[in-house]
Amino acid sequence: MTGFGATEPEVDLTTTVNGEEVDARVPARLHAADFLRHRLGLTGTHVGCEQGVCGMCTVLVDGQAVKSCLMLAAQLHGRDVRTVESLATGDDLNPLQRAFTEEHGLQCGFCTPGFLMTATALAERGVPVAREEIREEIAGVLCRCTGYEGIVRAIEGHLNGGAA
Amino acid sequence: MTALQPAPARTEATALPIGISVPRKEDERLLRGDGRFTDDVQPAHLLEMAVARCPYPHARIVSIDTSAAEQVDGVRQILVGADVLARTEPLTVLRPVPGAPKLPYYALAQEVAAHEGQPVVSVVATSRHIAEDAIELIEISYEPLPHVTDTLAALEPDAPVIHPGELASNLLVANPEGAGDPVVRLAEADVVVTDRFHVNRVTGLPMEPRAVVAQWRPGARELTVHSSTQVPHLMRKQLAEVLRIDESSIRVSASDVGGGFGLKLGIYPEDVLAALHAMTLRRPVKWVEDRMEHFRATTHAREAVHDFTIGATADGRITAMTNTYATDLGAWNSGFGSAQLSSVVFTGPYRVTDGYVERRVTVTNKTPIGAYRGYGQPEVNFPIERLVDRLARRLGMDPLELRERNMLRSDELPWKAVSGAVYDSGDYVRCLHMAAEAVDYAGLRRAGRGPRPDGRLVGVGLSSFVERTGYASARFLARRGSQFGAHESVTLRANRSGGVDLYTGVSSIGQSSETAFAQVVCGVLGIGYPAVRVHAGDTLGSPLNTGAFASRTMIAAAGALRDASLAFREKTLRIAAFRLSDGGSAGPVDPADLDVVDGEVVHRTDPRRRLRLSEVFSIAILGQGLPPEEEPGLEVTAHFEPPDAAYSFGTAAAVVAVDPDTGDYDIERFVMVHDAGTAVNPKIVEGQVRGGLVQGFGAALGEELRYDPDSGQLVNGSMMDYFAPTAADVPPIELLHTEVPSPVTTFGVRGVGEVGTIPPGAAVANAICDALADLGVELTRLPLTPESVWQAIRNARTARG
Ligand code: FES
Ligand code: FES
Repeated sequence: MTGFGATEPEVDLTTTVNGEEVDARVPARLHAADFLRHRLGLTGTHVGCEQGVCGMCTVLVDGQAVKSCLMLAAQLHGRDVRTVESLATGDDLNPLQRAFTEEHGLQCGFCTPGFLMTATALAERGVPVAREEIREEIAGVLCRCTGYEGIVRAIEGHLNGGAA
Repeated sequence: MTALQPAPARTEATALPIGISVPRKEDERLLRGDGRFTDDVQPAHLLEMAVARCPYPHARIVSIDTSAAEQVDGVRQILVGADVLARTEPLTVLRPVPGAPKLPYYALAQEVAAHEGQPVVSVVATSRHIAEDAIELIEISYEPLPHVTDTLAALEPDAPVIHPGELASNLLVANPEGAGDPVVRLAEADVVVTDRFHVNRVTGLPMEPRAVVAQWRPGARELTVHSSTQVPHLMRKQLAEVLRIDESSIRVSASDVGGGFGLKLGIYPEDVLAALHAMTLRRPVKWVEDRMEHFRATTHAREAVHDFTIGATADGRITAMTNTYATDLGAWNSGFGSAQLSSVVFTGPYRVTDGYVERRVTVTNKTPIGAYRGYGQPEVNFPIERLVDRLARRLGMDPLELRERNMLRSDELPWKAVSGAVYDSGDYVRCLHMAAEAVDYAGLRRAGRGPRPDGRLVGVGLSSFVERTGYASARFLARRGSQFGAHESVTLRANRSGGVDLYTGVSSIGQSSETAFAQVVCGVLGIGYPAVRVHAGDTLGSPLNTGAFASRTMIAAAGALRDASLAFREKTLRIAAFRLSDGGSAGPVDPADLDVVDGEVVHRTDPRRRLRLSEVFSIAILGQGLPPEEEPGLEVTAHFEPPDAAYSFGTAAAVVAVDPDTGDYDIERFVMVHDAGTAVNPKIVEGQVRGGLVQGFGAALGEELRYDPDSGQLVNGSMMDYFAPTAADVPPIELLHTEVPSPVTTFGVRGVGEVGTIPPGAAVANAICDALADLGVELTRLPLTPESVWQAIRNARTARG
């Protein structure tokens, strides 16, 4: 991102993003999603509303799914951040990602990182979740393309026995 | 290694991998966060733009003072209406309404702004934050003018005229169409049902808002525009017209598009502004719409008022239909304007010979209306199907039986409808029966409406439809002044790795065209699916085409893909035959004896004679070792125009349980039976239908953009108070398909992208009205909120005393 005006207040932060330590000086008002996207080049985290409604910007912070448009970059200081870019290993998609492609859980794919990170947090809780509960759990992320069926099927298969 | 067996004969019927759900080409990059949406494009030395917008529905711009903003550190340029007037033309229209005058829609408002959110000043700075800070410091003085936001009120004689320079009233144009003698038929009819139906203003709400990055190299006269658009080539044409430069100076690239649904068809003011700034500053300029802007600056959809009438004989034969409707345009004519297909399919799937339809395009002080999935077909399905049910009740017939009686039978197709539309083929009645059976219509009728122990009443509702997909030829479009053709075009180019590069101007908006296109190429060519690489949405390398809209992509592209693949295959086999004949002891090889199997050319009867495609393609590319008189290179471009539009069709059935005291209702079942012709990829078809249905439910059940009539302000213009369905809001959906191939398209495909938006409103409304039949409730307004149902119950009870 291009430089801000000279008077722009800035802060220093140290955070771990996808397993790597990052030191940065950022404008105090820069939100976390823009920091990840434009400072770190992790453009898989998307922005759809900047109001905490659409869920496009969902990432994991200390294992919790959070909406990064509602956080300031400065608030990532000392935290452990994971984004969609952390899911695949080399050229291999992880089982959740594979479930999404098998169940046709994405069309335009703009919402996909938000759902993947929400489902990752859900899976890491380690408790079985019924289909109707999945629908409630992912209601914080919107999708305008798929009608949700493929997304719900993919997450259900992944959570309940890793059918994928 | 492949076993050396004779390759099976390849015929179009047996070999096409059409009908198979192969994994999508688009998925991997999107799943890994590696898509490239417009905001992901971040050139060096980037500047960012923000736009000051009119806060009033209608206002004269008295003065603009930018002096304080200019002093802000980091601000690079500020443009106002006069700058735009000096350097650009008004935005052009791609799909004009026949007979409509042009409106002077400039990228920045001139003396008068005509809707809340219209751009007035644009600022470019070193960051978006700074550009927005600068906007806070711009003093714009407005003189509010009388406004009108209600569609029907805008047509009243005392309404303020929004474009007095071009129009005498707010009626942009009226387009009547029809056939037969509906007036006489209605006069003779035993029963006439008529009512006024209100269709709500909604928005498609793609998850990715609009975005543009413009770069200009003055020495090269080269404007590169990255844009979230459905139509890169049409955008290029419009930018050339508006910016007064040659098309050859413009490249438009849409890599990944996060949903379009019709909203990203053609240029918007901000595209022109970003380009203007970039051209004068010689620095790349980015603008990314924020969601608050999106609700006011990106096209809305659907809003219309239909006065619909049906006449019938006492034994239930429909004799006439008429529909006069006002469709809201908003303040300006956007690229596609207000929906035009309500007129085309206003007689639905029924045998109607006498009919009249009139579209009255109405200007109001609201955000411009544009195309949205369905483009008039969901809107008109609501009045038709609601009135068919009402007619049934008046006649004492069952709605299923009345539909059956009037529905066109397969042996009556092709059928020329009153609007001139030619319904190509299909079995409409079978879909109707399948839907009725799937919900156990007969059982529900026997069981009665309740009440159940919890007091709820049960109802079942049907909605039948035909849907135009694609366009009825370039001649049809020419008559309407449309600025695009009915065809699609593709280029196939061999590469030395043995793969095929496929170039298309169709951008990837979620419709899976990369996958479906590759499937057709593999099927016809014989090459393996991974060897086809699709390069989508860049005007630089792709042949001039039409674009991703009107459910037309596959209909037109399938023919171009087939033709290109056939020519490509023939040349491949000729080159291979020559090479395999070369000095071989087994004698010359006939290309007809060869086949492409995955990565090789193989002799059908002597499989030892084979050649890797990488080798064949290298021969062609190098031009070394070609047969005499064969041109070097291996590249084919094909254009294809389907002879006519393909009409898809179907019936939906809804079962609801309604609380007659509160109006609250649950959709317990929703069955959609639909025919999409030949399905190239069944998973994709299902995904398209489901996605459309959920958008359809959103618009039918809850979404509505509301304007305060006094202030003229949009009341619920943010995601906090405009509710698109979440995963938890979707009713249970069951899908059934029939597969009647269309005779007018390649492989028999019909469009599938929009159909889901059509039946939800009417099916659910009919089910609710069925449940409440004893009260005589008639729903005539979308959306069907519990409150509106409760209101209708109250009105019905009051009417009955
Ligand atoms: S962008 Fe963060 S929730 Fe919408
Ligand atoms: S796939 Fe497009 S928004 Fe979900």
